[in-house]
Amino acid sequence: MDGFLLVLWAVRLLFLGLIYLFLARVIRALLRDLRAAAREPTDRPGRLIVLESPGGEPLAGQSFGLDVITGLGRDVNNAIVIDDPFASADHAVLTYRGRSWYLEDLGSTNGSYINGRRVDGVAPMGFGDELQIGQVRMRLERASG
Amino acid sequence: MTGDAAGMTGTTRGPALPRVLGPIRPRPRWLELRLLALVAIALVVGSLSLGATVNASFRLFDARGLAIYLGALLAAHVAQVLSGRRTDQVLLPTVAMLGGISLLLMQRLPQDLVTQTFFGVTLGLAEVQLVWLLCALAVATTLGIVIRSDSWLRRYKYTWAAVGVGLLLLTFVFGTEINGQRLTLQIGPFAGQPTELLKVILVVFLAGYLSENRALIVEQDTRLGPLRLPPLPYLAPMVAMWAIALGIVVVQRDLGAALLFFGVFLAMLYVATGRLSLVVIGLVLFVLGSALMATLFDHIRTRVDIWLDPFVDPLGAGYQVVQALHAFARGGLVGVGLGAGLPEIGGRPPIPEVHTDFPLAALGEELGIVGVVAILGLFLVVVERGLRIGAAAADDFRSLLAVGLALVIGIQAFIIAAGNLKVLPLTGVTLPFISYGGSSLLANALVVGLLLALSDKGVEPPPSPRVSSRWRRMGRRSAA
Repeated sequence: MDGFLLVLWAVRLLFLGLIYLFLARVIRALLRDLRAAAREPTDRPGRLIVLESPGGEPLAGQSFGLDVITGLGRDVNNAIVIDDPFASADHAVLTYRGRSWYLEDLGSTNGSYINGRRVDGVAPMGFGDELQIGQVRMRLERASG
Repeated sequence: MTGDAAGMTGTTRGPALPRVLGPIRPRPRWLELRLLALVAIALVVGSLSLGATVNASFRLFDARGLAIYLGALLAAHVAQVLSGRRTDQVLLPTVAMLGGISLLLMQRLPQDLVTQTFFGVTLGLAEVQLVWLLCALAVATTLGIVIRSDSWLRRYKYTWAAVGVGLLLLTFVFGTEINGQRLTLQIGPFAGQPTELLKVILVVFLAGYLSENRALIVEQDTRLGPLRLPPLPYLAPMVAMWAIALGIVVVQRDLGAALLFFGVFLAMLYVATGRLSLVVIGLVLFVLGSALMATLFDHIRTRVDIWLDPFVDPLGAGYQVVQALHAFARGGLVGVGLGAGLPEIGGRPPIPEVHTDFPLAALGEELGIVGVVAILGLFLVVVERGLRIGAAAADDFRSLLAVGLALVIGIQAFIIAAGNLKVLPLTGVTLPFISYGGSSLLANALVVGLLLALSDKGVEPPPSPRVSSRWRRMGRRSAA
C-alpha cells in the first residue's frame, strides 16, 4: 500500500507541476510577444488614413505616419498636402501633446471638421475620430498594429 | 498635383476597400496546438490522480467525459485553423485549462447537487457542466471566427444599454427568488441569470460612451474649491451608474454584481481618461453608499458581520465562511490531492453551494495554495491578453472594449476569490470558467469570443462616426 501511496503523491504533484509548466509556457509566449512589440519601431504616435478624396491628392486608402507636429493644407510645404478646392494653403495642424492628439485649425476659410463638428481653434482628437478638410475625409488611428 | 511632400511617409495601399470576405486559407496555429496538448496531458494526469484516489487503482476517473471535452478542444482548434484568422493563440488554451479544472472538480463533487433532465435523460452535476462547457466552447470559437466587424456593437450602444436596463427591470419584476436573492429569470423552460449577460452589455456601452466622449472628459474642468472635477454633465452617467448599482443591491440583494459593475465602471473610466480624481470620487461615493446600505439593510450588515468575525456564529450565519476557511487550512501547501478532500457530512459536502460560490475553497483544499496560485495566475493571463489586445487596437472603442472585457473577468475572479478567502465580505458571484452554471459559462464564453475577434489585426476598419446634418450639407454642396 505504501508504494501505491507514493505513486499517488507523485501523480498529484505531477498534476500541479503540469499546470505550472503550462503557465510557464504561456508566460514565455507572452514575454516573446511583448518583446516583439517593444522592438517594433513605434516612434510614430499615430497615423492618418485617407478615407475619401475626390481630388486624388492624397489618394484614398493612403496611410500617413504622423510626426509630433503635422501640417495639413494645400501648400506643398505641408507634411500632408491636401489638393482640394475647399482646403486653404495652411489649413490645420495636428499635434501630439502629452498623451493625446489635438487639431488646430489655422483660420481656414472652410473650416476643419472632427466627426462632422466644426473645430474652433484647438480641439482634442481620439483614435478612431474622423477628420474632414475640404472634401477629404481622414481617420486618426494608433500606429502600432 | 503630384508633388510628393518631403517628410511624407505614407504607403499607398490602393483603394481602402475592406477585404472582408477574401479567399479563406487555413493558417496553422502551432503555439495554440502545443499549449492545448499540454492542457490535455495535465487534465489526463489530473483525472488519473482523481481516479486513483477514489477507486484505489490507477484508472482515469471519468474517461468518457474527459475524452469528450478534449475532443471539443481539438475541434475548436481545428475550426480556428481552417478559418485562417490571425487571432490570439493563448486565450483558448488558458480558458480550456480553467474549464478542465472545473470539469475535474464537478466530477469529484457529489453528482446529485444538480440534476437536470433533458428529453428523458437525467444528467448529474458533471454531465450538465460538461454540456455547458461544450456550449461555451462553441460560442467562443464561433464568435472568434465569425465576427469581422464591430459596428453592430459600436453603432447601437444606447440600444444595448436599453436592452440591459430592460433585462434588469424584467428580473426585478418577474425574477424568482432563491435564497432571498432575486437573480433568476425564467422564460418558459429556460432559466438564466441576466446579470451575467448584463456585465458584457455594460462593457459594450461604456466602451462606446467613453470612446465618444473621452476627449471632452479629459479636456475640460469644473473647479470646485481645490478640486478639479471633470465637466459636470459628463459626470451624470457616472451618478446614474452608481444609482443602478445601488438599485441592484436593494432590489436584487445581489452585492456581488453591484460590486462587479461598479468596479468595472471605475476601471474603464480610469483607462479612458487617465484621471485618478474620477476614481477617487467613485471610491468615495462607493464607501458612502456601502455605509448607508449597511445601516439600512439587515442582510448587508449580516454579510459584513460575518466577514469581520465568522466565528461568532460558526454553525449559523458564519457556517459557509468558516467551513471554507477550514478547507483552505486543510489544503496547506500542496493540498490533499484531487478527490481526497473532506468526505461528505451526511451525503453533503461540508460547504453549502460549493459548486457555485466556493469552487476555489474546494480547489484550495485539494490542490493547496500552490494550486490556487496557479489558478489565479491563469486568470491573470486572461487579463494580460485583454490589455495587450486593447493596447494594439487601432481605435479607442476597440481598446476600451478589449480592456473592459478582460477586466470584467479579472475583477469577478478577484471578488469571489477574495470572498472565499475572507479578504472581502462574501458576495455571490461565480468564479469565471470554474463555477457550475450555464449563464456564467456562456457569458464568459461571449467575452472570450469577442476578445478573440478583437485580437485579429485584419478586421474591418472602424466605420465612420455618425454624420451630423451640417456635415452632410457640406458634402452635398461640394458634390453639386
